[in-house]
Amino acid sequence: MDYSRRELADRLAAHYVLGTLRGPARRRFDALLPAHPALRQAVHAWQERLAPLSTSVPEIPPSDRVWQRIEAQLFAPPQAAPAAAPQRWWQGLTLWRSLSALSSAGALGLLVLALQVPPPQAPVVIVLGANPDTAQAMQASFVASVSGDGRVLVLRPIGDVPLGSGRALELWAVPAQGAPRSLGLVQAAGATTLLRAELLRNTAALAVSVEPTGGSPTGAPTGPIVALGKLQT
Amino acid sequence: MSASPDTWSERSTTLAHALARTGLGDRAAFATLYQATRSHLFGVILRINGDRNQAEDVLQEVFVNVWRAAQSFDANRSQPLTWLTSIARNRAIDSLRRRKTEPETVSLFKAGANDDDDDIDRLAHLPSDDAGPLQLLQQAAETRALTHCVGQLSREQQQCVALAFYQGLTHAELAQHLAQPLGTVKSWVRRALAALKDCLARPATNTDRGT
Repeated sequence: MDYSRRELADRLAAHYVLGTLRGPARRRFDALLPAHPALRQAVHAWQERLAPLSTSVPEIPPSDRVWQRIEAQLFAPPQAAPAAAPQRWWQGLTLWRSLSALSSAGALGLLVLALQVPPPQAPVVIVLGANPDTAQAMQASFVASVSGDGRVLVLRPIGDVPLGSGRALELWAVPAQGAPRSLGLVQAAGATTLLRAELLRNTAALAVSVEPTGGSPTGAPTGPIVALGKLQT
Repeated sequence: MSASPDTWSERSTTLAHALARTGLGDRAAFATLYQATRSHLFGVILRINGDRNQAEDVLQEVFVNVWRAAQSFDANRSQPLTWLTSIARNRAIDSLRRRKTEPETVSLFKAGANDDDDDIDRLAHLPSDDAGPLQLLQQAAETRALTHCVGQLSREQQQCVALAFYQGLTHAELAQHLAQPLGTVKSWVRRALAALKDCLARPATNTDRGT
């Protein structure tokens, strides 16, 4: 069957969202979704169309044990749940080991430079790795270098960043606690230089999100986070 | 398409913030998001899968999924509650498949299994002319842009949409419930969906589609 045919895609999407697409057909549809933007688009349109129907469903509070089980499943210490203990993708040791090896190598290079002309503080290099959860929509990674005095940041994309029209990339400083601060819009191609006082003060990570042209209308990231890098401390 | 974030209600904006923070691994924001949406989502799930224990499992799955997928939420494409509700509906429908492969629950009569009165047996409800789902559809139509569009559907079409959407009935279950041939029911559903799509796309009906 040719699932790229618009009319068929739309009809299947309608039944999928309404719930009448069932059994093997539903499973097959689920399996096709990730690879077929036209299907995802059609599903999304039907979700928007039928969304108002859900507003009249009476609220029913679930028992408190649901939250306890969610927390246990997601945040239990490893000994309590040896198998699962899911981590955010950037909390995996392997990633940080390899990144820290990378940045050690970088630091070593900088050290050589530093020994020649000792600056007041060494610059900081942060690799913003592509977010695997959004890699399907956009594969983007960046390198940020911040001057030793924390006033100049240069952000460069690694490879091509496929950014649709009407979209912009916004860079965020993410504190360990509290809301991310916007550092401004950055370019998808070529280097962006940002001048700010105390760029890295109270910053645990840098993140890049996709926003409408002109940047986030709310002051918080509204689009998907496509790349993220923790500061090495 | 959804309205852009700067025209959202305060609730949507708050939820979008919580969701954005959740995407960055903020557990407090995740807890806020859960508190703000759990009763709505549980109501939606429990309508589809009336087994309270299974509905709780589904709600748990939904939020585990939300924690992991929050980064892919795109506020320029969906309102947060629409996004969350879609995940919940999808998981709830999938849970019906599971239920059918579990022999001990085939009857849907779960005696002694912590049932609230109205959850005990959906089968007993179905043959009666239960106005529940239809009422929900009409209530939804009153509060939202759908008014005019739902009104254009025949009563049979409304029943099909309501029973499928709110209670997760399949085509075969619809046919059984409405005592009609499968082919007839399928064409009611197909025509209802086509009529809704046409009606919602017509600019003349957009006057009352503010938020």
